[in-house]
Amino acid sequence: MTKSSHTFWMVARNELGDSARSRRVMVMVLLYLVGAMGATALFITFLQSVEGQLVSSLGLPVPKSAGGVTATLWRSNMFREMLTRLIGDRGLAESLLAVPPLALFYGWLSCAFTPALVMLTSSTRIAEEIASGSVRYVMFRAGRAPWCVGKFAGQAVQVLGALLLSAAGAWLVGYFRMKSFEPLPTAQYMVWFAFKAWIYAMPFLGLALGISQLCSVPNLALVFGFLSLVAVQVLSGVSSWLTGTGWRRIWDIVNVLTPGGHRTDLWWNDPEHLLPAAVFLLTLTAAYLLAGYARFARRDL
Amino acid sequence: MNAALEMQGVVKSYGRLRALDGLDLCVPQGSIFGLVGSNGAGKTTALATALGLLRSSGGHINLLGDGPFRPEKHAGRVALLPQDSRFPPHARVEELLRFYARLQGVPSETLETAIDELLGWVHLQERRRSAVRTLSHGMTRRVAIAQAFLGSPELVLLDEPLNGLDPKEAARVRDMIRQRRSHQAIVISSHNLSDIEALCDRVAFIEKGKLVRQDTLEKIMRRAHRITYVLRGGSVPMDKLSTGLPEVTWEQQPDTLTATFTERYTTEELNDAVLRVLLEADVGILEIRRGSDLESEYLRLASEQPPGV
Repeated sequence: MTKSSHTFWMVARNELGDSARSRRVMVMVLLYLVGAMGATALFITFLQSVEGQLVSSLGLPVPKSAGGVTATLWRSNMFREMLTRLIGDRGLAESLLAVPPLALFYGWLSCAFTPALVMLTSSTRIAEEIASGSVRYVMFRAGRAPWCVGKFAGQAVQVLGALLLSAAGAWLVGYFRMKSFEPLPTAQYMVWFAFKAWIYAMPFLGLALGISQLCSVPNLALVFGFLSLVAVQVLSGVSSWLTGTGWRRIWDIVNVLTPGGHRTDLWWNDPEHLLPAAVFLLTLTAAYLLAGYARFARRDL
Repeated sequence: MNAALEMQGVVKSYGRLRALDGLDLCVPQGSIFGLVGSNGAGKTTALATALGLLRSSGGHINLLGDGPFRPEKHAGRVALLPQDSRFPPHARVEELLRFYARLQGVPSETLETAIDELLGWVHLQERRRSAVRTLSHGMTRRVAIAQAFLGSPELVLLDEPLNGLDPKEAARVRDMIRQRRSHQAIVISSHNLSDIEALCDRVAFIEKGKLVRQDTLEKIMRRAHRITYVLRGGSVPMDKLSTGLPEVTWEQQPDTLTATFTERYTTEELNDAVLRVLLEADVGILEIRRGSDLESEYLRLASEQPPGV
């Protein structure tokens, strides 16, 4: 093992342990778990109310718990055709309809909120070490590059842990509150969506740690982290809206440079869509992280 | 002379302020080297620049004969005790030291022994499982001292190592540093000149980022050419001393008599002659001090500096 890879593993391991001991990170991860469970419970309540309305309009027997009518609806040809027209892509619609509704909801939820979790837990990690000076105990023992990449890896594992934990929480809520709950397929799809959300969260982690390398005040890193998160999301939305033919194709390029530009591809289950999206997202991750490192490599500590 | 650390004309600027202004230093291997200077003289900057924590704006640094700091060449061979840096507050003492030891390249099989030994040395065995945030300032400082000696690096830079330690712990740390003499080069930056005097064999005075003087403690304190007698009662026969011992400069204070002499005399010869004269004149002698004290020499050098330096 080379010195750099040794440093990388040591730092990643230490980062994960140190992060797990941090009260702030623990609180954020627990809030994320509680949020995921609460949102799942709300989703099931919403399903129940929609089902109630359907039942009363169609004069069907009232279900004892949520999910029964949805499962029937989910399998109906009429609903499948409607969803295909709504999405505009039969392949993607078929792919989504193979997924249990609760897993699909979890997939949306994790993609929507993991970037915020990442910013809250990770954007201060390097800035804190610069501010306290604890980085000075390490930087004569390790190279700056393997140290930064090790910090990133530790944080990435932490995010994956948080996603799997929230998936478990959401699954438990579904298990106890939803009728016609399919435990195994739902669990499998939830893990699969947690993994996809993790890939989607990586550029945001790169952004968070990239910004953290630029700041020596942790709160400033947090503020800049959130501003950049908003900026990237707004840019993604605006660019996908403005894109068109001729010169407006430039917005396509802008869209590709934001994580949001690859989110739709993550909903697919085939490698032709998933692999390019994953490669783009990981390239963006490296680009964001490197942009911060370009300054960190030369800065005084 | 093999140098553990050489700095030639090193410049470090913060905007228009030059914290290091062409600093020259040479720390021989196996020496305990004192770095002395007033507040803002550039001591901390010099240490941080030597290990690449601060980027120099000019000059040349040679660390252990392998050029300026490069992690691939120097990681594990050098160590630093920073002055005001804190540890991650949630980390436990042993975990922190384990992490640093692994990065330092301490082999797994000797890692726990090395940590035990260092924690014993700084009297913190009982707090090894404590989180850093629960330690007092002095205890945290002792952990910081312990980490600097992990893996026996060839060059250890200590910035104000005894600050915040109680007298008992400070004495233990002094003993430990003395025991390390000749095993590794140790650079101590301190305002406490008695510590430097007690520990170091070479000293450099720096002011406003420049070297003022660098030499052995022996020469700086003029141990070979200066003797001070602390006296009790009696009248010192100055005429007899002046005529009998030419080429000696005498400074007489109410309770002391200081002789500064040239190469013409050895310390022993001059001391024998002076004692004979004083005893014949029935002058009581309480103490004989060889050389000056570091504080006086520092103040003398500082007063000799032109305002720009």
